[in-house]
Amino acid sequence: MKQTAEMSRAQITLQNFFIFNPTYGPREGEEHKKIMFYYPKTEDIDTKIKKVGLCEALVTFACTFTDKPCEALHTQKTRQVFLQPEKDFWFIMTVSVPYTEKTRDGQTVVEYHDEDVQDTVLEALLRQAYRMYTLFNGSIYALLEKLEGNVESLQSRFDHFFSRYLQTLRPASSDILDVFCGISFLPLDKNTYLRVQCFINTLEATFPTVKYTAFLYNDQLVWSGLEQDDMRIMYKYLTTSLFPSYLEQELQASGTSPPSLLDEQNLGKIPRVYVNTEVENEECLLLVYRALSASVCMLINTASSPVTFELCKNMDSFLGPQLSVIASEIGEQYSSKRPSSEPVFKYIYFNHMNLAQKTTIHADHKKTSGVFVSQETLKLLSDISSDLQRNNQDGETFVRTLNDCWVVGKKSDQREMVVVINQKNLNLIEVNDEVKKLCGMSFNSIFFQD
Amino acid sequence: MAAKEAEQTEIEVENEELQEDIAPGDCGSAMLIASDSFDSLVGNDYETELAIKKKKSHINEIVRQGSFEQEDSCGEQADVNHIGPYGDATTPSASEESSGEQSDPSMTKELSAVLDEISKSPDHDDDDVKTPEWKAQSKHVFILSDSGKPVYSRYGNEDKLVTVFGVMQALVSFVQDSAHDSIRSLVAGEHRIIFLHHENIILVCVTRGSESDRLIRIQLNYLYNQILSVLTLSTLKKIFKQRRNYDLRRQLSGSEKFLDSLLTMMEREPGLLLSAVRCLPLECQTRDMIAQSIVQHAKVKDLVFALIIANSQLVTLVRMKKYFLHPMDLHIIINLINAAESFKAAESWTPICLPKFDSSGFLQAHISYLDEACQTCLLLLTVDRDSFFTLSGCKTKITERLIKYNGLKAISDSLRKDSYNISKCGISDLRHFLYKNKSTAQYTSPELEAPYLSPGEQERLFGLYHYLHNRIHSSARPLKILYHVGQYEALLGWVTQGFELYAVFSPLVTKSLAINAVNKLMAWIRKEASRLFILESVTF
Repeated sequence: MKQTAEMSRAQITLQNFFIFNPTYGPREGEEHKKIMFYYPKTEDIDTKIKKVGLCEALVTFACTFTDKPCEALHTQKTRQVFLQPEKDFWFIMTVSVPYTEKTRDGQTVVEYHDEDVQDTVLEALLRQAYRMYTLFNGSIYALLEKLEGNVESLQSRFDHFFSRYLQTLRPASSDILDVFCGISFLPLDKNTYLRVQCFINTLEATFPTVKYTAFLYNDQLVWSGLEQDDMRIMYKYLTTSLFPSYLEQELQASGTSPPSLLDEQNLGKIPRVYVNTEVENEECLLLVYRALSASVCMLINTASSPVTFELCKNMDSFLGPQLSVIASEIGEQYSSKRPSSEPVFKYIYFNHMNLAQKTTIHADHKKTSGVFVSQETLKLLSDISSDLQRNNQDGETFVRTLNDCWVVGKKSDQREMVVVINQKNLNLIEVNDEVKKLCGMSFNSIFFQD
Repeated sequence: MAAKEAEQTEIEVENEELQEDIAPGDCGSAMLIASDSFDSLVGNDYETELAIKKKKSHINEIVRQGSFEQEDSCGEQADVNHIGPYGDATTPSASEESSGEQSDPSMTKELSAVLDEISKSPDHDDDDVKTPEWKAQSKHVFILSDSGKPVYSRYGNEDKLVTVFGVMQALVSFVQDSAHDSIRSLVAGEHRIIFLHHENIILVCVTRGSESDRLIRIQLNYLYNQILSVLTLSTLKKIFKQRRNYDLRRQLSGSEKFLDSLLTMMEREPGLLLSAVRCLPLECQTRDMIAQSIVQHAKVKDLVFALIIANSQLVTLVRMKKYFLHPMDLHIIINLINAAESFKAAESWTPICLPKFDSSGFLQAHISYLDEACQTCLLLLTVDRDSFFTLSGCKTKITERLIKYNGLKAISDSLRKDSYNISKCGISDLRHFLYKNKSTAQYTSPELEAPYLSPGEQERLFGLYHYLHNRIHSSARPLKILYHVGQYEALLGWVTQGFELYAVFSPLVTKSLAINAVNKLMAWIRKEASRLFILESVTF
């Protein structure tokens, strides 16, 4: 049917990403001053000004009808999302809409697949980009204050951060997990969990400069002293950027890995992060210590005593032996629990209250080793989830696709679950029973409305 | 005992499945065009269709067939210098007022200029229109020419909204010129602003409602077709070819009410969502008799369609062989008679263009009510512009026959019963449903009852249907079944090759009860099909 006439479908690609402030350069001929950052850099200035101008016009136009800000612009060929995270600073991201070329009556017709692009996913990516920026730079206004209003320095900070961050942006492989942006927790037995907590208490008592601590095992969080929203973005950074590059270094001992602090030269390279756990924009240094598969992240307030080589050596001798013991203890539990290849039930669970997330649909969180369902089903999951989210009521949705695949979404008291059941010839009642079975097995303590 | 139990469970297992067999209401030959493709409802298909397929004008075809004997074939210009419908006699001509007009300045307007305009609007004269009440309307519709001249605004006087129109035109043309792209929609909070750009006309809808973008686009296309039904596409093109910044309101004066009523109809009439027509329930012998009355007494050359409509429901449709009516055209016709009180006063003779049938020319419609209460409306659509008196004669004979055989009484009886209510189906737990037979493009649905009596609740119910319909008919990820349990109701949407069913249950219904109810409902529809649907396609 459709496939025969279709050529390959072009992917969603990033077209541009820019930040502007309409209050800078309000006079005619000064429009370029509004642009704080623009990707791709190669775009000529006229185009940049035009794109920014269109965004401004849309924002003002929308005000005719609503006090809410613009969120998304759909055109035939592109999709653009808007975010104003701080007053007058607009973040804009545009992606291409996938299309196929077809031949109809000897003429080539381009067909755009508007529904392949999902606003919720793009909006999540844009929000994530801003949060990641603030993790390393603090809020825009706090930085401006520190820079004494020097806009050019602000521009170079944006440039420094985003020109590298955007390299890692993959709109084509983003999905419902980016919308949830949750944290995968590692369930431990009581004794082991208490040992971890005890270990962290001793650590914080021995080194009072350590203000916040988080404990991870592989890519899963065991314990965190950070506020939820800080931990959410920190978790994203650790699991998608820092850990993978560390593992790479282990494997091939090459180039762009995080600097080791046992080399005195690297002291100046400790990353600075900004958290809002106790006060806003608290500047901290981030130290990560890893033994076997366990990592301890320590945040040290920059205002307290500086991080010295001495301190690092002391920490190493304190952490090294203890962490290895705990890591191997967890390792024993973890290996016995580890799931084998393709899961029986394919589902994603997310708790909006504590951000806990679990997926058996993705082979791992980084989405590097692929997903167990088709891209279409994956998109259907976000459709169903966003419908449930929009109604803001508890409920459940069962759908059967044209290929007779069942997808079920359930939302109950801030908890959400989407399940894919790919067995043919099941009817609604049987699917309902399957889902019940899954809930009984994996979530027996959680109540889902029937 | 054990055997009996086994038997029982077997029955239950059977009932767990949705029983999918032939679609109730199917018939051998359809009279309406069953189109399942939304693109055909939304798209700019008029131009492409004409260009690619070299689609022939149906009207010219019919006229030519008839004019072999006569020499004065005038079908081809039938649409041009013609008296406008609805009694408006203005004719666009190039000479008229063309002296003072120059190329429209808004065409070359820069976006920055537009920005200036919006930002200085506080002291602008729109202020008396852009009141908080105006802003709070849940669904605005604006129609403008692509040079930015206002044509229609659902709320507020167009003349006072020139900046809004100007901005909309600028946005459309800016996206088009700067990126060879076209703007489709803008999302801001709960609001969505949807743009539909036809060759000369831009339609914009600003809504907070539950309709999907695609449905809004279909609705905007309905409005566009409403304009075409007054002007024809050929005239519209001709007008704008002669003068790009022509004020189309001169041609449309008096027909704003048709746009208004069409918008109201969209809020209440599921037929527009389903692209299907609702038929007045009648015994099939009665319906047959009514159709035969028309066939016998209206055998007039050049009569293309004859139909009877009662309270927005189709009673019968008789058509010329080879020609079919599109549901969209039928909705335009229903809207015409709903909105114009004047038809009730006397027999009328009015030109109407049915854009899906033939967007290039007018059909001539003889419109009359057959009963005192003005409920039953007869429409005779012809290509012969001089047949008023012939058709008037037909009308008299048809009426006589319908009175003689109690046809009018049957219609008014059916109307008095107000369609039917859900209790007629005898299915507990079922609150409301929409059933569409795809091949005939007809649907049936019971009266709205508690808890859907207040306007707010009706809107919510429609919102649920919009949600079901949109998810199921997603162009990228279409579904066969959608079952949703929410706080206030459980919903089932079910689409097969032959039919579409959308059902609403009380929220506490179990899935097996719901499926049972749906199977019962399908059996009921099958039993009632000959009464609920027009199964016979009658031709002259």
